[in-house]
Amino acid sequence: MSLLAYTPLIDPLPIWSYWMWLIVPLSAGVAVVYKSIKTESMREVPRKALVTTLWIIGGMAFAAVALTAIVRLLEA
Amino acid sequence: MSNDRVRPILPPPLIALVGWLVPGAGYLLIRQRARGLTVGITILILFVLGLLIGGIRVIDVPGYDDSGARRTVAGRWLLTAAPVAEIANKPWYVPQILTGPVTLLAGQFSLNAARNRIDPSHARIRDIGTLYTAVAGMLNLMALIDAAHRAGKERA
Repeated sequence: MSLLAYTPLIDPLPIWSYWMWLIVPLSAGVAVVYKSIKTESMREVPRKALVTTLWIIGGMAFAAVALTAIVRLLEA
Repeated sequence: MSNDRVRPILPPPLIALVGWLVPGAGYLLIRQRARGLTVGITILILFVLGLLIGGIRVIDVPGYDDSGARRTVAGRWLLTAAPVAEIANKPWYVPQILTGPVTLLAGQFSLNAARNRIDPSHARIRDIGTLYTAVAGMLNLMALIDAAHRAGKERA
């Protein structure tokens, strides 16, 4: 399905090849809400949320690489 | 003395209830406008993104089948006859409903789409859409607990 045929809320977003990038807005959203709750001063939230977003994405990437290595090792 | 200082803080359970009704509104009631707007808007964006990614039918309403018809057992609606089993059958609805009445509204649209024979999305995209909406609900749970806790501290 092309983007032109996409009907919002009816069709799933045609991003079959790029689904992995959907971790970025999800991580950013989680980081913003979490840091807004944990941080007393809201002025510090943007910087802390950015750092947390990078940690989440980095952690996920590390987990992906580690699990791939384990699977390859077991298959070898 | 400013008006803010004399306005009393509402009881924590009421703050939690308002936080469920409108994400982030609990903070607004305890005069934390920036926190309330940031949290509320972010949660609603995540929820809407989930619906846009997976389609409206990522809201899988318990008690209804894939065609949007009520499921019954021995003439009784399944959700009242065996509520625990039916909700356990569609566990993602539990975190989704924590986003608030917006989930009920989206659920109604989802049922209408099912009755109009609009198929749900499948595989990974559906999972990701469901995940977004469920995470939005879990974040709202955290936010309403925090807002109620802060209200309790301010009242003490």
